[in-house]
Amino acid sequence: MDKTTNKYLISALLIGVVFHGTAIFFTLETTYDALIHLFFGNHYANNWFDPWSYSWYTGFTVMGYPPLVHQSIGLFSYIGGLKFGLFTVAIIAILLFITGIYRFALVLTSNRNVAGYTAIFGVFSSVFIETLHIFGQLPSIIGLSILLHSLPEIYLWLKIGKYRYLVNSLSLIAVTVTSHHVTPIFGMVFFIFPLIGMVIMDVSREKVESYKEVRFKHFLKSFFSLFKRIVSFGFGSLLLIIICILPYWINTKNNPITQVPIPHGSRDNFLEVTSSGLVFFLIPWGVLLFLFPYIWYRFYSKRYLFFGFSITLLTILGTGGTTPIPLMMLGENAFNILTLDRFTLWASIMALPIFGEFGYRFAEGDLKQKISEKFGGVYHRIIGGLITGVMIFTTLFTMSLGYFRPSQPQKIKMLPILNFLSRDQHDHWRYLPLGFGDQMAWLSAQTNAMTVDGNYHSARRLPELTTRAVERLENSKFRGVEGIGSLQQFLTVPEKYNLKYVFSNDKFYDPILYFCGWQRLRQLENGIMVWEKLNVPPLSSILPREEVPMFQKLMWGLIPVFTVLLAFVINIQLIWVHALKSKNKTFPVYFKFGVAYNGFNKKVIKASYLWVLLILVVMSYGFYLLYIKNVKQLSPINVTEAYYDALDFKEFERAHSYIDPNSNKSIDQYMLEVSVTDGLLSSYAKLDEIKVGIIVQTDSTAKVKVLTRWITPLEKIDRTYYHELVKNNNRWFVKPLPYDLDIPPDQFFVENITSFYNHGRRRISSEQTYHEDVLKQPVLEVLSSKIIEYNDQYAIVGEIQNIDNVPADVVITGTLYNDDNKKLAKYNAKHQMKHKLMPKEITSFRIDFEGIAWMNSEDRKPETFDPDQFTAMEFEEIPTKFNLQSAGNVAIVDLYKGVAINDLSLQKEYIEGVLFNSGLEEVTIPLLLVSYYNQNHELLWVDHQYLQEGIRPQRKLYFSYPLLDLTALECINDDMENVLVNGLQNIEISDKMVPDRKHEHQSVQFLPVEGKGYRYIKLEINNYIGAPH
Amino acid sequence: MTMYKKHIALLLLTSAICILSIGFTTIINRSEKVSAVLLTNQTVFNAGDAIVLEFELEKPVTTKLFLHSSYGSTVITPNKQKDTQYSIPNFMTNKSGVIKYILSHKSAIVYEGELQINPNINTKVHLESYIGPPSIIAGGEDYTMQVVIPTDIYDNPLPEETPIQIGHQFLNTEKENILYTKDMMGWKNIFSYDQSGRILLFSVVGETVSKEFSVEVFPALPENFEITSDRRHKYADGNQITELVTSIIKDEYDNVVSDGTIVDFEIIDAKGAVLQTQGSTINGTAVAKILHPDHKDIWRIKAYVYGMAESNTIKLEYTPVLDDFEVVFDKGNREIKVGPLVSFMEQLIPNGALVKLDIFIDDKKIDTKVKTSLDGVVRFILEEGFYVSGEYDIKIKALGIKKEYNNITLQ
Repeated sequence: MDKTTNKYLISALLIGVVFHGTAIFFTLETTYDALIHLFFGNHYANNWFDPWSYSWYTGFTVMGYPPLVHQSIGLFSYIGGLKFGLFTVAIIAILLFITGIYRFALVLTSNRNVAGYTAIFGVFSSVFIETLHIFGQLPSIIGLSILLHSLPEIYLWLKIGKYRYLVNSLSLIAVTVTSHHVTPIFGMVFFIFPLIGMVIMDVSREKVESYKEVRFKHFLKSFFSLFKRIVSFGFGSLLLIIICILPYWINTKNNPITQVPIPHGSRDNFLEVTSSGLVFFLIPWGVLLFLFPYIWYRFYSKRYLFFGFSITLLTILGTGGTTPIPLMMLGENAFNILTLDRFTLWASIMALPIFGEFGYRFAEGDLKQKISEKFGGVYHRIIGGLITGVMIFTTLFTMSLGYFRPSQPQKIKMLPILNFLSRDQHDHWRYLPLGFGDQMAWLSAQTNAMTVDGNYHSARRLPELTTRAVERLENSKFRGVEGIGSLQQFLTVPEKYNLKYVFSNDKFYDPILYFCGWQRLRQLENGIMVWEKLNVPPLSSILPREEVPMFQKLMWGLIPVFTVLLAFVINIQLIWVHALKSKNKTFPVYFKFGVAYNGFNKKVIKASYLWVLLILVVMSYGFYLLYIKNVKQLSPINVTEAYYDALDFKEFERAHSYIDPNSNKSIDQYMLEVSVTDGLLSSYAKLDEIKVGIIVQTDSTAKVKVLTRWITPLEKIDRTYYHELVKNNNRWFVKPLPYDLDIPPDQFFVENITSFYNHGRRRISSEQTYHEDVLKQPVLEVLSSKIIEYNDQYAIVGEIQNIDNVPADVVITGTLYNDDNKKLAKYNAKHQMKHKLMPKEITSFRIDFEGIAWMNSEDRKPETFDPDQFTAMEFEEIPTKFNLQSAGNVAIVDLYKGVAINDLSLQKEYIEGVLFNSGLEEVTIPLLLVSYYNQNHELLWVDHQYLQEGIRPQRKLYFSYPLLDLTALECINDDMENVLVNGLQNIEISDKMVPDRKHEHQSVQFLPVEGKGYRYIKLEINNYIGAPH
Repeated sequence: MTMYKKHIALLLLTSAICILSIGFTTIINRSEKVSAVLLTNQTVFNAGDAIVLEFELEKPVTTKLFLHSSYGSTVITPNKQKDTQYSIPNFMTNKSGVIKYILSHKSAIVYEGELQINPNINTKVHLESYIGPPSIIAGGEDYTMQVVIPTDIYDNPLPEETPIQIGHQFLNTEKENILYTKDMMGWKNIFSYDQSGRILLFSVVGETVSKEFSVEVFPALPENFEITSDRRHKYADGNQITELVTSIIKDEYDNVVSDGTIVDFEIIDAKGAVLQTQGSTINGTAVAKILHPDHKDIWRIKAYVYGMAESNTIKLEYTPVLDDFEVVFDKGNREIKVGPLVSFMEQLIPNGALVKLDIFIDDKKIDTKVKTSLDGVVRFILEEGFYVSGEYDIKIKALGIKKEYNNITLQ
């Protein structure tokens, strides 16, 4: 063997460790997956042999993911903490990858220089950078690297048949299996099968003069001669795949993934969703894209033929939904479970040695000679510069992708949250982070408190989550109806999950929290708003778990580390041999089969030129399309869309640039006009769809109709706008719309307000709150309640009054029973009520019984986004009786009552009115509660309407509410026998507290209407204040 | 075949019986009978006393003492110095009640008996006291319960009939009572007085005084009250604010109702629509605000604390600020200028007065335009794109004044 050290490999290792090793400190924590692995690492560090984690999803098993990488992080964390563990493992992954790709290149090309080039290219390959620095898929990288390490050993075993090589290769396969389960299974197909094919080729080659003479019969003969070795290796690895992570397979069988598939960008059509195309196709391939002809040419040479098949397959599978082929090949099920980006990862890794070979031939081999001869040295250098340039560009671009397009919210300081959770026994309840991104895993890793959410969706157990394509509740706003729907279910009945605290890092969720009856507790030092729900019981001290037999726990805890130790011991000799050259040894046998690099095929050069030209043309066309789309003021439609886009992203300066400059609207004036309007539409809405239609267009003017669809956390809003446009200097501009000119009467005004404070505990004590510090629950009285059937849905409607002397937070839970007292459904009142009541205040309420959406897979899922979507519970039996539990707790916040109904006029099908905010707070979202009554003054139904604009102090808001048709409504039962308040009979409270109730007061608010099925309506207002003083 | 099977079954059965009988004879071992005498005379102790039981055994054998008290059961071994002496562990001797003991030798009962432990009245008394609910309603119907459990330092309730002195203060009243414990505790219901305020309570047993407890007495239900209005002027300008104020709302005992009590003001306008505003009380007075109407109106206002109290009805009249306004059609009738709108002193109406334009074709409403005034003027533009040339009827409404223009031709 060559005694000199491979300088390329050494440089690659040095550059790799320095470059990636320093960069990970800035990138790894903002990747998608790294913090999840960190969380798992923390689990193993604390409970090595216990596979059950209570932290996420009301408990889940960590046997759903091969443990080696996580356990390694856990082990290293004993030395220097969790993050030390993470970074150490990442650096090990970098080293393993570079050496792995070197060895793979060596066995493939039998040329140490080529392998060295490959190692260097590997360091800078965009696919590796993306997988490490953007996706953070450590187990995947380690699994693949070890697999690459095993390839030479497998080659040698097949070729020579010494058992030492079999043991070597199997020991490495075992490590692969325990670090990532998908890698060895697909690696078998895509890496090892072609390698076996190559060995058979080499063996056949020995029987004839050259590869050209290898015929099928030679191949078959060699195949049979090697059959035993192939089978023994195959069986060995199969056995390892099964045994090494046996608990994983058992768990998969017991808890099959029955979830609704979660959309993944790698399954998109890359031509339609260009961002997915960029991330899952262009970046991984990077500079290799230009060398496709050479790569294919080399891989379809006879020796590499099977690699050729493999890379073709991988490339096609990696294109996701762009072509229908991957779906056809994988089948519906596998297509929806697998993330297809890994195929592109493997394909581009497989292509790296060929790229290395190209690099070698180009830099110092026959290609250089050929080009220099034909075009001269300068030309060669220019080409070299271009290729290097593209490489540097893709490297820089990929590295900075996370910086310019952050996939994660800003880094959150966790300490205040951790302090909050550990204080005052707050960790006796579950919590829910909102808008944390993958940092929620880092939070979970540091606290004992548990969350109902989680970040490893294959392990989800609650049907509320698994039936929906929601990755996490935490980012549910990106998942439309399914996300918000899931979230609302958790927020409406938090008692079910002992969920008491929500950490909100995204103001988008605030309205849902408020209208589901949550209240702001305080803002932590890191800007995270803590929301709290009253009346939630703490977690019981013993929680349910799924037990697994002891042998599984032992296997899970011991085998992975054991495989590493074994592989280390067995291969340590190899490492000495390969790296330190302590022993003189001959070249490995595969060195015989190297190709001499003389005479570069002319056709390939030509094809390459054509290919590069084609790619350049395609790219230029793409850029041109992008330009046309992005030139905002080329047409009335473009400018209108751009205008709304700017408004949607609150880029008011950009929006102003589309306003007609002749309208004399200064930027300051414009900013004032748009910034004063708060509300659901301007503060919480996201533009979902926009359709611009031209009504009239002349050369210089146009009128457009804009149909917009906005998504808000509470409901979707359809709005139509009309705009006039003018053309100046070949550019279109939008004419500004009129704005509200109303002037409030008072420049300065004074108001006395009642505000409240509750100490919680007056004594500083680590014990439970003292008995005398616990306030009495405010007494409520249910004035009426009944079961109503309307449109095949059942609901409980009623009215409740706070008859105490302190403000109350009200939670109402309704349960439906059939005639045999069988419980059919239980739910809480959501937003059809005022959750906070001042002393003596009344609210109407309605409890809908919400089922879990799309429990039956045949139910059609709506295609469009609709947060207001409601899935009624399906009743097998008819509910006839009900039980109503209401609980009051002293409330001290969200008690703003300053909005008056200033004008009302009754139209045929709707009522119009004016709201006036007479108080000091700016109402962000007013909610109109409308109660319907019959001629006997009996409550029939409660409806709600969110008003889309906010109301500033002393301002008016015009509203219009369409009246309902309630002719189909039926009252099932209005017996109030089972109505309880704070656990006491409502009737007793009523008799004792308000014995002489003036029942005639109930109807003073009634507005007589000639309604369909009703005679009166009553209006109430619930105000959400986004930013209280 | 069947014969063969029977044989085997028989064989198995006999062997099973053999094995069982051998097993039993070997296990059952006749134990020796040992008798013992208790040397300790005392059977009644005070909690906290050290208790040592000493036995005299007939034969020197090893024994164990099984103890059972309300706190659970345990088995102890003899003291090291003397193997017939047993020290009862503290956690049992500290608790009043009965301790049963059984001295045993190889599972056989050698001696059994019981000890009585009484609360230790010689120690300092500890008081465990509770008050609840912490808030009650004035009027003498509602009450809170004061519970006192005097204990010794080992947390044993003192004997029955232990005297407890309890007392409370409310306004100028200070009352004291003597209770005697029954079933471990002494308790008393403290009924509220007619006034609202705070009751402070305490209790004393022997030398020990409890901490101070407090119970809030909230006012009872509100009684009927009066309302008045306060406004800058009587004009329906749609801009100024009318304040509605209640008198001080009190309960039947003349207590001012709790701060924060919500008072709803229902306003019935001339059309019969019910407008609403609300206020919450501070020192018994609630203030609610409402904007003046922008048209002539008569409001009948009455306030309620729902189901409990109501006010008188007051009537407010709002007179219109103008009788008429000017409308100018321009630019082929496509620009309609409404105004200048002037207010009651001929001043321009404040910005923001609402003007509504209804557009009809052949008595069918096709559109409504709403704009607010700027410097007394509102301009509507009927764009060509939306309104094809032709004849339209136009209705304009501002500040309660309606004007109709029929057969307006748009060019």
